[in-house]
Amino acid sequence: MEGSYDEIVSENPFFVEFKNEYTNLFQHCIAQSWIICVPRIGSLTSRVFAIEDFCAHILVPSDELPESHYSTLTEKQVTVANKVITLEVTKGLPLQSHILFEETFYTEDFIKYKVWCIESPLEPTTKTGDNLTTKEYLASINDCIDLLWTQAAGRQVLDQIEQSVQLFLKKQPLPIAIGPLRDSISELYTQCLQYALQNRRLREKSKSCKMTLENIKIAVECYMQQLLFGSIFKHICTFGAYEDSHLNKKIRNMNDIQLKDLDIKKELFHSVPKAKQILSKIDTFNTVLEKVLCLKQALNAINEIDSSNNIVLLTADDLLPVFVFLVIKSGLPNWYSQLTYMKEFRFSGVGRGDGDESTFLITTLEAVIEHIQSGALSGPPNPESYYYESNLAEENVNGRQRKNSLTESISTSDTNPRDETLEHVFELIKANHSEQVQAILLRNKRNLESIKENVNDILKVSLDKEFDDIDDDSESESELYEKLCHPLCNCKRCCSKISKNLLKTSPTVASRDGHGLTPLHVASIHGKATIVELLIEMDAEIDATDLNECTPLHYAATRGHQNALLLLLHSGANINQTNIDKNTPLHLCVNNGHLNCVKALIYFAEHCRIKLMINSTNENGNTPLHLASKWGYEGIARLLIENGAEPSLQNRHNKTSFDYAHNLKILQVLKSVTPNLYEYIHITSTDVKTLKFSDNSLNLKQLKSKFKIHENNTSKTVENLKTIERILKAISFGDVKLACFYMNIDYLSYKDNKSNKALCHPLCECQSCKKTKGTQTDYDVNYPDSNGLTALHCAARYGLDELSNILILNNANVNCQNKRGQTPLHLAALNNKPVVINLLLNNGANINAIDHSGNTPLHDASEMGNIGAAKVLLNYNPDITMFNGSEKTALSVAKEKVHLTIIDLIEKHASKL
Amino acid sequence: MTNTSGTYNFKVVLLGEGCVGKTSLLLRYIEDKFNDKHLTTLQATFLNKKLNINGKRINLSIWDTAGQEKFHALGPIYYRNSNGAILVYDITDEDSFGKVKNWVKELKKMLGSEIVLVIAGNKIDLEHERTVPLEEAESYAKMVGARHFYTSAKLNQGVEDLFLELTREMTERLEQNTLSEVTRTSRVLVVDDETPVQSSCCSGSKSN
Repeated sequence: MEGSYDEIVSENPFFVEFKNEYTNLFQHCIAQSWIICVPRIGSLTSRVFAIEDFCAHILVPSDELPESHYSTLTEKQVTVANKVITLEVTKGLPLQSHILFEETFYTEDFIKYKVWCIESPLEPTTKTGDNLTTKEYLASINDCIDLLWTQAAGRQVLDQIEQSVQLFLKKQPLPIAIGPLRDSISELYTQCLQYALQNRRLREKSKSCKMTLENIKIAVECYMQQLLFGSIFKHICTFGAYEDSHLNKKIRNMNDIQLKDLDIKKELFHSVPKAKQILSKIDTFNTVLEKVLCLKQALNAINEIDSSNNIVLLTADDLLPVFVFLVIKSGLPNWYSQLTYMKEFRFSGVGRGDGDESTFLITTLEAVIEHIQSGALSGPPNPESYYYESNLAEENVNGRQRKNSLTESISTSDTNPRDETLEHVFELIKANHSEQVQAILLRNKRNLESIKENVNDILKVSLDKEFDDIDDDSESESELYEKLCHPLCNCKRCCSKISKNLLKTSPTVASRDGHGLTPLHVASIHGKATIVELLIEMDAEIDATDLNECTPLHYAATRGHQNALLLLLHSGANINQTNIDKNTPLHLCVNNGHLNCVKALIYFAEHCRIKLMINSTNENGNTPLHLASKWGYEGIARLLIENGAEPSLQNRHNKTSFDYAHNLKILQVLKSVTPNLYEYIHITSTDVKTLKFSDNSLNLKQLKSKFKIHENNTSKTVENLKTIERILKAISFGDVKLACFYMNIDYLSYKDNKSNKALCHPLCECQSCKKTKGTQTDYDVNYPDSNGLTALHCAARYGLDELSNILILNNANVNCQNKRGQTPLHLAALNNKPVVINLLLNNGANINAIDHSGNTPLHDASEMGNIGAAKVLLNYNPDITMFNGSEKTALSVAKEKVHLTIIDLIEKHASKL
Repeated sequence: MTNTSGTYNFKVVLLGEGCVGKTSLLLRYIEDKFNDKHLTTLQATFLNKKLNINGKRINLSIWDTAGQEKFHALGPIYYRNSNGAILVYDITDEDSFGKVKNWVKELKKMLGSEIVLVIAGNKIDLEHERTVPLEEAESYAKMVGARHFYTSAKLNQGVEDLFLELTREMTERLEQNTLSEVTRTSRVLVVDDETPVQSSCCSGSKSN
């Protein structure tokens, strides 16, 4: 890192000779506190120095500008600016040299003098030594690779490191705890470094210069980390999964925090966006070196510019709050793991003490994370206040003033009508003064009603300008009524007075502020359950939306107020309402990690037989599961998965929940559902998986008894929905046996009787005939799931002809439609299941059935290019002239998709006609 | 804490309430003459200073900390593994001296005698507004075994002495420790010494 060049000046030959051979001059320098410049080791070739050489390197401060202007003892003028010494020479370009570092020396009797170690000698005539770029510092993985490549003159060192890393990864499963993992990688690092130093060139160079050795160490470490990162980082995230998810929950819940809430100086506001942008890239770096550098750049980007456009130094007091803000706003899901990685996997810095700059940066990050984690920050004091103030600069002042006046107003008597603004009511709600809220709202409601009775037809009269001069803002209601012609007068003038007054000073349950917030919104934001209840009793609009199209339910979910949430749900709030970003309440509470609210939503929906859209997508195409996966909420993810969330759905960036899972625990939860991906895994009847299930009869009995109980039960519908879901799942596995079991159909009897299906005689009563007849199930096989899919639909889709037959024998409706109007025949055609198509058509399926987009099965088969299906369909003489919703026949659909065989088939069929 | 080349690396933390002038002290000490743009030195929160006292090379890393009360709990993260601490108070502000007492108590409890403490009464240019009595401060410092300095970042008084004295004491302490440890047992102990500190920190942060 910059400024990290180091050498032992007291061993520098130039310095040693000066000190030993020219003691008088040296002592004089010290006494005068002149500055001694020492060219870095290796920059001077000759080892023989004359007195002039030393004189040229002694700087005497000038009288006027002792900070920046000096002259050497050889009478040359020198200026120092920004770490560069500039020496004026008589001809040509001025000579420049970097100051590498300053070292303050104290003699035995504590006389102080300064030594500057400089990049190159201050003499134009001196031949400069080797051009080894020692000052160069490593800033990226490319620098590291360059260094190892050029210094070793070849890539064998790189190859060796790569080999050992691969060997390491192959050799053993990675340790399951952070300590052993660090130790084993530390061992690997030592091994890699040994390989590097076995290279002759590298060894020689590092011997000659300490700095090169340090750089080689860093380079080896970086290259190793670059290779390892992909394999180990997921593991590190897994170790930190618990901490990360808790941190994320904290961060999500204060996501609307503003700079002013953290007492950050206004002068710093301008630099925050840039710093944030830099910091949020930290996860794109694979090596600790680059991550630390990213931290450094982000912190350096936070600066303050004073009135004269100079950059003001920041103190820790200012820096830490800004850094806290940056981490909260960065949107990274795994800060804790990032920190662990940086903290535990730095090996090259060891031996340089615990106080170097990288340690400082990492420690600062640790402090920031600790601060967020500790809960010392509790989010903005007025979560909804940011709606009021859009201007950052004015925010601070306004916010404070308003707060003061409002706290005052609470303390003053509540009968003062001047305080009866909507804001006052909001404040009362926040303070949980339910009785006062009720009193105000009820009184206003009564007033409103009484006025309405009298003037209901004139209220609509628009305000005329001539009345504008009447300012009744400050008037109490009683005064206002006195000013009217008559308390019951309904002339234009009086009405406008009243309505004006109503608009301004009388909040009711239905009033809204400038951002569309109703009292119910505010009560939900603050989780004041008693007030929520009260407002609902007062007929507040449950699904009122504010400017962001958020309902009270959204706010209760966002803030994790389970009580308020349940009250709203029980009062009929729309559970799937979306806000302006298409977020449902479920999205919001998942995003903020409120497991209790997620549970409440899911169980409420289940209990009340409401369909909760568990896979609904927001504006970015994210499902709730995407969010749970991204922020590492394991419990929520599991709950969502158990309730049918689909991990392989893609969002707008074509990312699935799997892509967002950053640790193995979440990944495991997500993977627990993969076998159910019947939408994505194509199961044909030939590779049917059979689930094992034993004690058949016992289950059957239980199931039967269940059914009996539920016959009289009101929640039979829910039970049926659950059963049909189970049945469809079994069918999607291709497990006919299990599906039959769920439907209470005796599968074996069908299997046995397959060969001799026919009865001995229509009226025969023998055993085998009885069995066949008796297998009619009491379960309604036509029961649809929430998408209108029946068992037969599903069987048709997966081409289970055997099951389809059983279903048909059990009175399945072959022409039933799902929510999109598709019959089983449509699905069979779409999925190219000729055998089932045949079966369906033989059992009375309508060949020309149309779905909601106007497609016949033949359209579907043509669209998909399913030749087998098309052939069978054509055998049953479909109407090929039918148009679908987009005015196309099956033939034109096939032509559009260029399915040549199908075009051919249909044309042949047409010609036959 | 030495590395192979015999350079001592010392970590020093600056602790104290906000507005007592921690940062000014630090900047005054570093007096980075040849650097107009301080940006390269990571703001003013972390600074390095190379010293050579009587032939001993010392690399001071000085860490500034945030003084606000709400960040007090982060103290342990900053001061762990540090060799020295400078506790700054404002002589015109009695509360800030009380804060120093709290810090001393905490540091003694957490780090024992491993850490060298120096107390600095800053802003002596405002002597006429003094509220912290001179005797009280000095006798308290003596009691807890810390050196006491009066400083003025504004007038550049006592700042250099403060750091020099601190550095000398840290060097002495370190040399004594290594000496006694070498005589007591093997060198392994020196390495061992660090691990318990770290592990306790880790477990501490996890439990939060």
